[in-house]
Amino acid sequence: MFRYYLMLGLRSLRRNPALTALMVVTLAIGVAASVSTLTILHVMSGDPVPAKSKRLVVPLLDVGPKANYSPDRRDPYMIQSTYPDAINYLRSGPGVRRTALYGVATSIEPARREDPLIDLSGIATTTDYFPMFDVPLRFGSAWSAADDERGSRVAVLSKRKAEAIFGSKDPVGQRIRIWDTDFTIVGVVGDWNPVPRYTNLINGSGGYFEGEEQLLIPLKAATDLAVEPNGNVSCSHESAAGWAAFLASECTWIQAWWELASAADRPAAQAWLDAYVAQQQRGGRLERRAPNELFDVMQWMDFLKVVKPDSKLAVWLSIGFLVLCIVNTMGLLLAKFSTRAAEVGVRRALGAGRAAIFRQFLVETTVVGLAGGLLGLALSFASLALIRQQSRDLSAVAHMDWEMLATTFALAVVASIVAGLLPTWRACQVTPALQLKSQ
Amino acid sequence: MEIRPIFSALMKSRTGPLLVAVQVAISLAILANALFIVQQRIAVSQRPSGVASERDVGHVYVRPLRKLSHPEVLAEQQREAAVLRGLAGVKAVAWTNQMPLSRSGSSSSVRATPEQVHESAQPSQYYVQPGFIQALGLRLVEGRDMTEADVMESDPEKDAEAIPPGVIVTESLGRALFPNESRFVGRTFYFGLGGEQPTRIIGVIERLQTTAAQPGEAGEQSVLEPLRLSTSGSHFAIRAEPGQIDRALKEAAETLRKTSPMPVRTFTRSMAEERTNRYKNEKALAWMLIAVSALLLLVTVSGIVGMTMLRVAQRRKQIGVRRALGARWRDILRYFVTENLIITTGGIAAGLLLALGLNRLLIAYLGVPRLPLEYLAVGAGALWMLGVLAVYGPAARAAGISPAIATRTA
Repeated sequence: MFRYYLMLGLRSLRRNPALTALMVVTLAIGVAASVSTLTILHVMSGDPVPAKSKRLVVPLLDVGPKANYSPDRRDPYMIQSTYPDAINYLRSGPGVRRTALYGVATSIEPARREDPLIDLSGIATTTDYFPMFDVPLRFGSAWSAADDERGSRVAVLSKRKAEAIFGSKDPVGQRIRIWDTDFTIVGVVGDWNPVPRYTNLINGSGGYFEGEEQLLIPLKAATDLAVEPNGNVSCSHESAAGWAAFLASECTWIQAWWELASAADRPAAQAWLDAYVAQQQRGGRLERRAPNELFDVMQWMDFLKVVKPDSKLAVWLSIGFLVLCIVNTMGLLLAKFSTRAAEVGVRRALGAGRAAIFRQFLVETTVVGLAGGLLGLALSFASLALIRQQSRDLSAVAHMDWEMLATTFALAVVASIVAGLLPTWRACQVTPALQLKSQ
Repeated sequence: MEIRPIFSALMKSRTGPLLVAVQVAISLAILANALFIVQQRIAVSQRPSGVASERDVGHVYVRPLRKLSHPEVLAEQQREAAVLRGLAGVKAVAWTNQMPLSRSGSSSSVRATPEQVHESAQPSQYYVQPGFIQALGLRLVEGRDMTEADVMESDPEKDAEAIPPGVIVTESLGRALFPNESRFVGRTFYFGLGGEQPTRIIGVIERLQTTAAQPGEAGEQSVLEPLRLSTSGSHFAIRAEPGQIDRALKEAAETLRKTSPMPVRTFTRSMAEERTNRYKNEKALAWMLIAVSALLLLVTVSGIVGMTMLRVAQRRKQIGVRRALGARWRDILRYFVTENLIITTGGIAAGLLLALGLNRLLIAYLGVPRLPLEYLAVGAGALWMLGVLAVYGPAARAAGISPAIATRTA
């Protein structure tokens, strides 16, 4: 019977191609608008590292002075760690791995004066960065823990930058001159592009979604060479001049990360942090006695407001638009079905139950929904392509994935069924006797 | 024309008209809110930066790859400025640490009194020297410009943060520091936590946006500090002859690279580019909302057209009878237009409430401001007009139905 209804439906849709096209297009536009905005929101608020996102945590202390502290007010710039705290975490913090990182930017000095400089931006970090964030290496390897201790002048390049400088061959062992110092290339990062860029959201090289670490060097090499941070630096206390004083200061400019063995270790990590802060307070620091916070990956992205309210606004309004499209289709279907009262009357008179009529018309609306879904999918791809032109950040997030593909279809079919329910129900109400009489 | 018969006919078959009214209501709710948000974003992106004839201004950044000593850096700054001034088409050059709208730079909290617990503002700190105000064409509204005597020389490697004794503030910053005053010259305030000595305001400029150009007052809270600093890199604001800025900037970067005694990194950006980059997201959202609004109206119009066509089709015979009984072309047209007006008016009435409700939600969850009533009026007017236009075609066709129809059966 289903195949018969399908055939009937297709025939009926063919009978009035303009009306059918209008319904399909309306549904498609509504679905495309919702799907493109939802896709962006979905990617922006996606979990960049599902396997680890509960185990990777960021510790955050309030290092501000007591004088201007009020517990209900948060300093918007105090979102990183001080250097002394970061080093203490690295030495004795909780969890199975710990790292710290800060943004750096430099240029490679060319061998010949006439040649152009090659700009590099990236991070200074520790070797645990690579296993912690599952960063694969295409060539070579990360530097060793001993390199971290010594502050060896070694560097890891991103795949794209390595190819731009050395071509596709293995550059391990080559030297580059940055910060007036020779650095030896020890590795090249393979394909690794988490969206959002959760490891380094407070960065000087790109936005939340776009950009990459082109250069990675040992933290100690950077601090030994007094490499200024390329990114957010927030100082809440007066501090003396010079690099050594800066390192010792209460300025926050380093991001610390801990990897716990399991999400269940979080209370233990919190306890460690509280104990650490208590010990620092005995030494006269951290006089605000504000709560010491831990954030896992999703909490951290939420805290830094990675998803802008604008993206949510766009989703709300486009869902409103979809509702409008559904109401519109409902009206069109009502018009279509109302002209077929006679047909329904005959079927009913010949013994078809209301349920049978209901099924027949539902099949017809579902066909409209599927067509709308297909067209909506095409339109979504087109509108996402258009959105990608708008900004670099949007170009990183306006990409359809399988989940959204399925959502598109589900949305179109559900929308068409919702739109078809009322007209179908009305069609079922036809009294056969009346229809037959009028003929 | 009698409204009563039209109304009672409407009440007989409610579903179709009701659906159209719902469409009009949803359209109005979304349209009014979307247009309001678009207007807001456009207004934000068109705020003046304070820089006069902005399209002729840009900046070049230069940074040597090697570390230089304090006197070497200052000497380089002098040399670079001289080189840039010598370029063709360059009208003015001024050293600075940052440019408005560039989204990267320094800021510091300030307080009117050291006892104050919370800061009065977090202004953008422009480290500049005499000539900066002229180069950018900022408007001095009170007090005086800085002179060489105001400039404090400082080595960030050796000296703690230099705070010059006299600074120039924007009017907006003055208001934030001293809310009850209108003149700010001679007043003093404190940087940071207000530890040591106060800073005196020597002049007030009308406007200079911050590097972030935040929406609201904070976006215009800037302070000009007369400082000569040996920073690792230098920004030079450049004003060019009209239409020459892109060429001048390109030439500036090339000349700096060529004439420098050591390898240097350079980049340039015109104010036009800064503005585009700063407001990219605002523009993207505005375009998206405009596109949705246009589609919204299109869908609503198609809904009205479709419904009227259906009603005409259902009543061909009645129309014929009315025509046969002497109704003129005009009467039939008026019937459908009036019927449509009743439906859209009902929809608009519901839409006004829906729009306010949607605005409440947006206020509560997304921090959107309150919807001004003009937007409701404009949206309602637009939908009314579109409704009449949409109904005109099908109604005119209905009016053209021949009275002879009345004599035929079915």
